[in-house]
Amino acid sequence: MKKLFTYFILFLLWLLMVSAVLALPPIGSETTPVTTHVIPRYLTEGVEEAGAENIVTAVILNYRGYDTMGEVTVIFCALIAVLAVIGREDVKLHTSKVDLVGIKESVIVRSVVRFLAPFIMLFAVYIMLHGKESPGGGFQAGAILGASIIIYTMTFSYDLTLKKFFVKARTFMESAGPIAFFACGVIALFYGQNFLTYMIPAFPFATQEAMRNLMIEVIEVGIGIGGGTVISSIFLAMEKVEK
Amino acid sequence: MINNEVIAKAYSSINYVVAVTLFCIGLYALIIKPNLIKKFMGLNIIETSVFLFIISSGYVKGGVAPIYTHDTPVNALFVNPIPQALILTAIVVAVSVTALALSLIIKLYDQCGTLNANKLKELR
Repeated sequence: MKKLFTYFILFLLWLLMVSAVLALPPIGSETTPVTTHVIPRYLTEGVEEAGAENIVTAVILNYRGYDTMGEVTVIFCALIAVLAVIGREDVKLHTSKVDLVGIKESVIVRSVVRFLAPFIMLFAVYIMLHGKESPGGGFQAGAILGASIIIYTMTFSYDLTLKKFFVKARTFMESAGPIAFFACGVIALFYGQNFLTYMIPAFPFATQEAMRNLMIEVIEVGIGIGGGTVISSIFLAMEKVEK
Repeated sequence: MINNEVIAKAYSSINYVVAVTLFCIGLYALIIKPNLIKKFMGLNIIETSVFLFIISSGYVKGGVAPIYTHDTPVNALFVNPIPQALILTAIVVAVSVTALALSLIIKLYDQCGTLNANKLKELR
């Protein structure tokens, strides 16, 4: 009875939402409010104003820089919360359940992962460095980096990953995203510009655009390394069991 | 009430209809399923439906990805970059929320030995 009532309510909600959605402007129209409000300016002026050929990167890092800065801080806070709840792993005390039982992946999986894992990491670095002028950027690179470390941990031993990717190094790398963002944002304040504009006067050895490009790259690398490390740290902390 | 016009409209904005349907499926899992992990799967489905909805709203027919290269024509038609930027960051936040929820579930299972929400309600 309770279930039937829930189905009925959900069906009513679905009908309501479908009728609301059908009243929206059709998908693909150029005259919707979403597409006409600030987008023409972003698309025409974005390359000069924000300094990135990829307009999505320009929006993320420059026009909506505050938003992304908060976002990066949110990932970092999520990591802190996860570590506060379940605790960080310790090489001497913890191992993974797979290691404890002693199951080994098949030869095919291990050979393929041993061959592919370095290339996945290389691809992540490529995406991280080319977010300015091609599809990609820090967040995507972080996801790929985290995925490569996770696939390595699941195929080979947990202890081996902890030995190679030890806690002390990760502690520094996890905070790379917020630190890079705040540092590059604050530099502009010393030259009387607004926070997160990346506009600092030209140095004798570099033009203003070059300095801005450098700062955007630094932020992308910070987000990539920070994001990847946070994802793998969360995974490693969740995977642990006591020896 | 349901005539050809409505069906044609629904077909032309099929992404929105699918997003709404996914939202209802996720809400169903969130309400009905007693297992906490399944509840959070429902929450993830809801998040996905919202991503689909916002991304679809930024599509422009015949548009290309908003990236300037050396051979981009002068009056090129681009899709809307803002929904893509919003969703890019929203996905990361969704991952963070899921990670935090799962870690809480791990701790809860260690303490109580069950993930059934109805049984957890009776524990004091």
